[in-house]
Amino acid sequence: MKEIILETRELTHIYAKGTPYEKTAVNGMNIKIEKGELVGIIGHTGSGKSTLVQHFNGLLKPDGGQIFLDGHDMWENKADIRKVRFKVGVCFQYPEYQLFEETVYKDIAFGPKNMGLDKDEINRRVIEAMKYVGLDESYADKSAFDLSGGEKRRAAIAGVMAMSPEVLILDEPCAGLDPAGRDMLLSLIKNYRESTGSTVIFVSHNMDDIAKIATRVLVVNDGKEAMYGTVDEVFSRCDELKAMGLDVPAVTDLFMKLKMIYPQLDAGVYDINKAADILYSLLKGGAVRA
Amino acid sequence: MLKDITIGQYFPTGSPVHSLDPRAKIIITIFYIVVVFLCKSFASLGLCCAVLLIFILISRVPVKMFLKSIKAILPIILFTAFLNIFYIGGGKVLFTWKFISVSEKGLYTAAFMTVRIILLIISGSALTYTTTPTMLTDGMERLLSPLKVFHVPVHTLAMMMTLALRFIPTLIDEIERITNAQKARGADLESGNFVQRAKALVPVLVPLFISAFRRAYELAFAMECRCYRGGEGRTRMKQMKLKMPDYLSFAVVVLFTAGVILLNNIYPVL
Repeated sequence: MKEIILETRELTHIYAKGTPYEKTAVNGMNIKIEKGELVGIIGHTGSGKSTLVQHFNGLLKPDGGQIFLDGHDMWENKADIRKVRFKVGVCFQYPEYQLFEETVYKDIAFGPKNMGLDKDEINRRVIEAMKYVGLDESYADKSAFDLSGGEKRRAAIAGVMAMSPEVLILDEPCAGLDPAGRDMLLSLIKNYRESTGSTVIFVSHNMDDIAKIATRVLVVNDGKEAMYGTVDEVFSRCDELKAMGLDVPAVTDLFMKLKMIYPQLDAGVYDINKAADILYSLLKGGAVRA
Repeated sequence: MLKDITIGQYFPTGSPVHSLDPRAKIIITIFYIVVVFLCKSFASLGLCCAVLLIFILISRVPVKMFLKSIKAILPIILFTAFLNIFYIGGGKVLFTWKFISVSEKGLYTAAFMTVRIILLIISGSALTYTTTPTMLTDGMERLLSPLKVFHVPVHTLAMMMTLALRFIPTLIDEIERITNAQKARGADLESGNFVQRAKALVPVLVPLFISAFRRAYELAFAMECRCYRGGEGRTRMKQMKLKMPDYLSFAVVVLFTAGVILLNNIYPVL
């Protein structure tokens, strides 16, 4: 078994405790995230995904339970919580709204600068991060406010990558992007993980995105972990996913319908190429009814 | 820190007080404040306290919430009490030490003023806790509408107030979001001296201003798209109409005022 980098034990978070607006967002969650995985977190709006993510880097303090990073209780020593944020980099929804510096370069350098690194190291990291997100060096001196929406998003993500966190967390990185921008961002995330070997967690409610790049999937429902397993395991339980009001990948949906006609089919198919192979052999076998 | 702001906060409980006409509530609150100032004895002030307490109990807003709003102005209350104790002379001298002397009258006045200020604050927050900001500004617009004769842009002012109140929570959320994002990049907002802290706010303020302007433009567009063109000829979905409970509460207030005047005369000045 691989090393566990993040672990929650009975993690609970309650918003606005003691007022009529009180709401339990995370309710006794137990999960273990292994080093080097690319975990996709899904759940519908208000299921507690974003709250969970804010616990991973110590922005929120648990109202109950514990959270461990590298085997240490994050809140054991309150003064060290800032160090946690350098180890676990979180990029929130619509990160382009947090850009503030005059140039893209300076903005990306904000994180490494806060870490107290020297100039050369900062420079190295900024250039590396820009490479990861596919912004060439001509962007370095541009104003962040002159970029297109997709470019701004990537510049903001680079700002987190430049801190070289052990765990990179992206909250809905593809929200509001067009299909081309979405595909590009997904492959960037995948490449980043493969070339740095770091753990990546990304939150999404698009099943196709998760099916495309994740190695493990965590399904959050009502502040609890509903399912946690490999992509195959989770998408083979698509009936349960649908019962939770979640979508399944379009291909899986098609196979679920086909299964009603051909019971021998496996419904847990989420990869389009694999689906094509199965359909091909099915047609060849002549099992298609007229 | 931002979560402690209780000004203009609404606390829904669905009580009969909440469903009173906002105009009635505004008038009653102003009336109540005037009556509190008319009080001349502890007996009449006691009646004010009793009436307000009954009001709070009917509104079902937890007493804790009122304590919170008093806490915010505690320094002012203490300061006033302090000044009154030492600067008002008269009556029996209770205590002297070098040039400081505390008189009976000073002590009474301090206590009197403290209770008075607390009553003012509580009655003010009682109004906002039981009335949504929109209702409040609607009520004010209606109450001020006679000023239209003098070309006071009452509707515009009310709309500006509604929007300002409406965007306070949004901006607070926004500040929290941006602060989180910058903290996630290691921004240190909590330590350092004054200059360092002020500098550390730049990464929060720049995005905040940008988004505030963006929101303002978007809102203006959205309002224009729905053909908003100011108050002229504008009708309301919810017509305000004074109902039985409103008249009833007016009656209670009149009785209460009579009571205060009576007590002022029965138990005159301290």
